[in-house]
Amino acid sequence: MVVKLEKPVRPLPPKQSRYGPDPDHIKTRTCDLENIVSVRVREFFRDIPESIYPSERGIKAVREATVNALTNVDMSMIKPENSVNILGSHHGFLLAGGEPYAEMLKTIRDIIADKTGSENLRLKVGVGLRFRESDEYIRRFGLDEYFGKGKAKGVAPIDEGIPIETEIGTLYGIKRCYDADWIVHAHNSDVREIHFHRHVDKAVKPFGMSYARIETRSTYHQNLGPRSANFVARAIFNSELVQNKWTFATFLKPTPAGIAGVDADNDLFALDERLTKENFRHYGKILSLLSQIDECIVVLDFQAPIPYVFSAGMIFANFSAASVDIFDLDYPLPGYTWYTEAFYGTDDRPLIPDTPPINPAIKAMVINYAWGGYPSVFWAKMIPTIVVGEHQADVFDKDPQNIEFMNHAVVAKDLQTAIEFTTRIADTDKILIFDGATEAINVSKPLAEELVEKVTEVDKEVEQKLIPKWCRQRGIKIEKQI
Amino acid sequence: MRVINMYAEVNPEICTGCKICEKVCPILSVKVFGEKKEKRAVVDLSTCVGCGACVERCDFEGAIILKTLEKSKIIGVDPKSVDEKEITELCLEAKIHPEQIVCFCTGTRANEVAAATLLGATSPEEISRKTGVRTGCKVECIEPILRLLKAAGIEPTPVEKGWQWYGITPTIWDIPEEVIQKYSARGFYFEEDKALLKKLLENVK
Repeated sequence: MVVKLEKPVRPLPPKQSRYGPDPDHIKTRTCDLENIVSVRVREFFRDIPESIYPSERGIKAVREATVNALTNVDMSMIKPENSVNILGSHHGFLLAGGEPYAEMLKTIRDIIADKTGSENLRLKVGVGLRFRESDEYIRRFGLDEYFGKGKAKGVAPIDEGIPIETEIGTLYGIKRCYDADWIVHAHNSDVREIHFHRHVDKAVKPFGMSYARIETRSTYHQNLGPRSANFVARAIFNSELVQNKWTFATFLKPTPAGIAGVDADNDLFALDERLTKENFRHYGKILSLLSQIDECIVVLDFQAPIPYVFSAGMIFANFSAASVDIFDLDYPLPGYTWYTEAFYGTDDRPLIPDTPPINPAIKAMVINYAWGGYPSVFWAKMIPTIVVGEHQADVFDKDPQNIEFMNHAVVAKDLQTAIEFTTRIADTDKILIFDGATEAINVSKPLAEELVEKVTEVDKEVEQKLIPKWCRQRGIKIEKQI
Repeated sequence: MRVINMYAEVNPEICTGCKICEKVCPILSVKVFGEKKEKRAVVDLSTCVGCGACVERCDFEGAIILKTLEKSKIIGVDPKSVDEKEITELCLEAKIHPEQIVCFCTGTRANEVAAATLLGATSPEEISRKTGVRTGCKVECIEPILRLLKAAGIEPTPVEKGWQWYGITPTIWDIPEEVIQKYSARGFYFEEDKALLKKLLENVK
């Protein structure tokens, strides 16, 4: 297969956030270093659809796609006098710079107003473990002005709760998510935390997470199991409280190559099945390819916490978990998930035999730019870690979720020094960069060449063997495949 | 065990006494005092661990901020200070491995929470004050704490008008058989996950 190696694709500039270092400190980006090249994701897998964003049509392509997706969606249950909460998640704002998700949210608002006459339309955006993150995005993308004063707000899992009776017992949601007559589920189809949800009911997950209180999230990550966890989302979605307020879902559809479109449906499970099959093909292939890497240094260089920095659409947590096929439910524990981390004993060894390790291909990790706000000590314990600059170390030292992170990492004065040191100790020149470069993957030339060599075989294996298996495991009939 | 290197500080010029900080503090270190317009939040520095819940949810920019302690402190309960057999029995009753990590931010293990319980803690707030558990992300570890308290025969009451926590939730061992049967074919591997957790508990020394 002939694949063109190009000049590195430049990632988005660093963003100001209370969770990260001052952008002025980020002097050098990893793609600026010598011997770094870029491969367009669609060069690897040509069946990944062309992006509508970025594209020559700009952000209006996202508005058009949202309008088209909502054309046949039933909104007749919403009356002019009714209130509607459009429920979103912080995560959408990490995709392609965040503007596409913001535009989708604005468009949903406009279409509901047009179709139903309702003027009481609010935006409630959930978060992960950084409780002000969504408020930062709401301000950055002008959503507070767009929705009207006080109508666009971030919500957090420690905010006031509401009990939700489900078929497995009482769980808890965030009260402000459910304080309207109707709810709209405005999310995205990125696989993102597949190490947690294992792509079982992925589209339903925010009901057990972004819109949920701490009790529910703790149930997800501590009370069930690595392949049962996402059932809390289905249990809440199926509850009387949610079903009485349910209208429809609208999803931004990213691929590893950009934003491919928007999908919408009144039937969330039908939408989930469509998105699942597409993700198996697109994300399944790229992660399977990255899983073929036998050794590498990873460099994190993006405005997100350690697990959420992107490379070719896959987050670092996925790659670190990929010592086994994390799409395959025959494997109980991925190399990384909270159930896996929880099952490491006092001596930092697994309590259960045969627990897969953190991806052994990762020989070292350099952190040039990342946020705090996610418990990340496990990675520093398992992977030799070099942090670039005291400013970045300070982010971890002052983060209640990472106070001990720097006990397991060292500081390099600059990126060049960190890479030279790491290349020497890891004895490899293969560098995989998680910098969120849209549409492409930035890597060192030797790693690019290795990926090119392996891509044809991976494509064939995923298409012929793995997609049928992944579908079968989730009750998705083979004859209904793409 | 939890290292404490930050603390919360209130700016009374900006604070409105709205009480959100009081409602979200996982260890009840922030209280609002005063009448009507004089209401202000006050932080008990002897117990504050600098988790930042108050800062993150305050609606008034700068009303409460995190500052760095000149000298860091450590809180924690040594599981060795309690009979190991009692800890193991309590953890197994809660169906949690004693060495299992229950708080990913502080690295707190079940045996430390069990030890705090056996030494007399009767609520999640007391356990957090003693061990530091639930003072990192403030999200993921409430349920194992409630399970361990329940296993010790303690049923704590949520803080009145507080949002700290609302109640204990189901575990995989509570999932009704009809639910397991209904959804197993959809990729929810309940029985297989139960087998994995059984294997974990069987490995308790």
